[in-house]
Amino acid sequence: MKYVRSWLLPVIALAIAFAIGALMMKLQGANPLKAYESLFSSAFGSSAGISKTLGKATPLIISGLAVTICLRAGLFNIGVQGQLLAGALASAWAGYAIHGLPLFIHLPIALFFGTFFGALTGIIAGALKAYRGVHEVITTIMLNSLVLQLGEYLAYGPFKEPGQQLARTPEVLSSAKIPDLFGMPVGFFIAITLAVIAWWIFKKTTSGFRLETVGRNKNAAWYAGISVKRSILISMFIGGGLAGLGGAIETLGVVGRYEPAFNAGLGFDGITIALLGRANPLAVIPGAILFGGMRGAGGSMQFAAGVSPDIIDLILALVLFFVTAPLIGKWIKTVRGNEAITTGGWGN
Amino acid sequence: MIKKYLGSRWSPFVATFSVILFFYLKDALATTSVVATSITFGLPLAMAAMVGIMCERTGIVNIGIEGTLLVSSFIGFFVASVSGNLLVGLFAAVCMGAVSGLLLALLSVTWKMDQIIAGTIINILATGLTSFFYKQGHTLPSTFPEIDIPGLSAIPFFGPVLFMHGPLTFLGFFLILVLWVALYFTPWGLRSRSVGEHPGSADTAGVSVVRMRYLNVTIAGAFGGLTGAYLTLELVGSWDRGFSAGRGFTALALMIFGRWNPLGALAAALFFGVAQAITNQLMITEVVTIPQQFTNMLPYVLTILILAISAGKVRAPAAEGQPYEKESA
Amino acid sequence: MKKKIIASVAAIAIASLGFSVAPASAADESSCGTAAGFCVGLVTDVGKVDDKSFNQSAWQGAKTAAAALNGFSKYIETQDPKDYASNIDLFASKKYNVIVTVGFLMADATAIAAAKYPDIKFIGVDQYNASPATNYTGLGFPEDKAGFIVGYLGGYLTKSGKTAAIAGGPSSIPPVRKFIEGFRNGVAYAAKEQKKKYPKSSTVYYTGANAFNDPAWGASTAAQYLTQGYDVIFAAGGKTGNGALARIAKKKGAFCIGVDTDQWATVPEAQPCLVTSSMKNIPQGVQVLIKQVKSGTFAGGNFLGSVGAAPYHALAKKVPAKVKAKVKALTAKVLAGTVATGVK
Repeated sequence: MKYVRSWLLPVIALAIAFAIGALMMKLQGANPLKAYESLFSSAFGSSAGISKTLGKATPLIISGLAVTICLRAGLFNIGVQGQLLAGALASAWAGYAIHGLPLFIHLPIALFFGTFFGALTGIIAGALKAYRGVHEVITTIMLNSLVLQLGEYLAYGPFKEPGQQLARTPEVLSSAKIPDLFGMPVGFFIAITLAVIAWWIFKKTTSGFRLETVGRNKNAAWYAGISVKRSILISMFIGGGLAGLGGAIETLGVVGRYEPAFNAGLGFDGITIALLGRANPLAVIPGAILFGGMRGAGGSMQFAAGVSPDIIDLILALVLFFVTAPLIGKWIKTVRGNEAITTGGWGN
Repeated sequence: MIKKYLGSRWSPFVATFSVILFFYLKDALATTSVVATSITFGLPLAMAAMVGIMCERTGIVNIGIEGTLLVSSFIGFFVASVSGNLLVGLFAAVCMGAVSGLLLALLSVTWKMDQIIAGTIINILATGLTSFFYKQGHTLPSTFPEIDIPGLSAIPFFGPVLFMHGPLTFLGFFLILVLWVALYFTPWGLRSRSVGEHPGSADTAGVSVVRMRYLNVTIAGAFGGLTGAYLTLELVGSWDRGFSAGRGFTALALMIFGRWNPLGALAAALFFGVAQAITNQLMITEVVTIPQQFTNMLPYVLTILILAISAGKVRAPAAEGQPYEKESA
Repeated sequence: MKKKIIASVAAIAIASLGFSVAPASAADESSCGTAAGFCVGLVTDVGKVDDKSFNQSAWQGAKTAAAALNGFSKYIETQDPKDYASNIDLFASKKYNVIVTVGFLMADATAIAAAKYPDIKFIGVDQYNASPATNYTGLGFPEDKAGFIVGYLGGYLTKSGKTAAIAGGPSSIPPVRKFIEGFRNGVAYAAKEQKKKYPKSSTVYYTGANAFNDPAWGASTAAQYLTQGYDVIFAAGGKTGNGALARIAKKKGAFCIGVDTDQWATVPEAQPCLVTSSMKNIPQGVQVLIKQVKSGTFAGGNFLGSVGAAPYHALAKKVPAKVKAKVKALTAKVLAGTVATGVK
């Protein structure tokens, strides 16, 4: 019964969110049934659709994880977008500028570049927090804009594709591109693996426990002899590295180069997904698939039913609302207790 | 001796004043314009930061400022254009802001939801609703006009900077000062802050934590509505999807930069406004030809540097982010 | 308990969906690809068909052309640049006759799609077709000429000699750069003609996450220019530019110039200052190309659309007749190429 309840809640939340979405569509004179049919059939109804959904979900899983890990350690990482951009930029450079390597060396190097520069962006905020007490919410918001401007400069300056008018880097070499495996995006499996590893770390290892203790109560952690500074540095380093890897996978597997407009919004969706999953690494996966599927199928829905894809934002907000608000939980008598609080503000 | 003066709390003001004077003597028109424009750029950020301060001082994290700005400017614009009356639009925007505040209070105080989730819900909901229901073809009857205060506005430099603005700009500045006074020098402020720091003791002392939080978060929302109204009804005069363009998030950073103090956040916002105006001015006069992206980075880099150097642990209200559970006797 | 829940959920779902027998759009696309049918699909750049800018213009052209040819037209609004290809595929899967893609960012995706679907004709607005494909035409515009003409007008209208442009996006975007540099050179040309020494026309570019989408930034930047005595301001760039126009309209004696379409209609707030708009005639270009498809003369390659200055509308009385005549004469020369804009 307990298991039933734990999946019942999201199902009911989805149903209500979709029902309200349908009402909104009606208000606009569209046909919700047709819209939803096309939404689902294009997101999940064919192998091409599933492949697209999973491809869209991949960077979202990873950026969701990047937020989740920091949340667990008591940090609110709004900077995933910037870390992801840094990773995308660095991996694109490594992908086009390094020549003459075979795939099995070049691709890991390019992925490493992305991860490293993402982690670097993350640890700047971490170090400022740990050593100078500067709040991570400020630094990560500032770093988002900083990296964006830097990327704009590099893509239009030193890294610009020769002969191209637009701000973008050359295409990465085929030796640095992530191949597709039986039509399914390889990046997705990397993302799933990362989520499982993150879950395992927090569930089973002492390092995970240390991070979490710092997240729950800094004083208690201090008394227990856990270094708060180290935990902050580690979690921002890992969070940034994950975000950077997400950017690299997106660059090397989907976009093929760094082009500023192509990574917009991924980091912010990651925040929402992490919250939707209540900072549970495994719960990030279904959340990201839902987001990826709906975002990816927006075009089909508009094509088939003439409904503006803006409705998707609305439905996703309602899903988040009904999953997290204690309304349905009370109704189906699921006691969630302390679990309800994920973040605990940014007080300390 | 020198160190004493450098360390004085007035040194930032003296420094700012000397820099302005230096440039004013070089180019009076441009300097006046830069300082005046920095108010145009900075004020909406400052007002939005006040929303955060009012909430957080009573222990509620408000990450939904962006959503409040977006939805209240949307409502303000459409009500004003349909009714043909700016004041009606202003009223509607303020009410809409209050409603969004009320929603945040409901989610985070009554239902004790995670406050960052609550704010995020407001943000995405606002984006979805406003984009979905936006209709082209509405225009405002007019916008709030600039008021040149007679006499004062003729003073060189100070006139254009301080005394030639729209009514909502004056109102915004006035309310920021009121908020500062209220927060530190009135019983309401004391109660608010005690609820944000030690809700338990506040409760024991007879302050209703729930009522205080509801009241402040709702007023903060109304203030956010005023900010939205300022953006659409006074500054721009139109509305488009994504109108607030991230100002609600920058405001969060400025709130922390200003150490949860209204005057601090105002200073931080004006600093951002100045940086933006200077960035523009460098392009306008073309004296230096460094890539624009680097001048754009300036405010962000400076903010990080200033905070890193000044260090000193910035402390948020202690009870922030935690729903209040009355201790059962 | 569980049954009750499921029943309630079902009830909600049915209640919301039950009354949803809304009529689909009047025409249908089942005839696409047949001899009788003529279907036009349009994929927007990230943005909406009511963006008061290039997406809207392109859609207007596509819709008008399809209606004139008794065809069917439909659009998809792209949400994410990574969906360009899949959105094009949706139209291709229904055998649309023509697919219009809007914006220079979509050039790569359109070229690939043109190779993939040789039977479908592609029109790329603001794109340059570098491929030999005969089923893909890039619809380009000499934005520099449009900018030059309005700059020339501005050079005659300014009293302070201070003219400026507010660009809603970075200079790395080709149409933005060409508009702005054309404007700048047009002002200089007019100054030279009047034997006046104006300072070089100034420009502020926007670079950031909200390029083209920050009206408040546009308005504030306009305020900065106005307080420094700039009296002719060219606002080039989406909603950011529209915000600037609306702000300039509040200043007495200042002229503003719109971009892309005749913004007299799209940004009515700007009417008090809007003396003209630097237009590229996207609707006409799209219509011409769609009609070429219908008549079988569509040949691929690149098509240069027309540009010009929008009518003065109510501000005609503020433009001296002599200046009007001069602008008219210059417009002809610029369009014919006898006066070079000096923009590469």
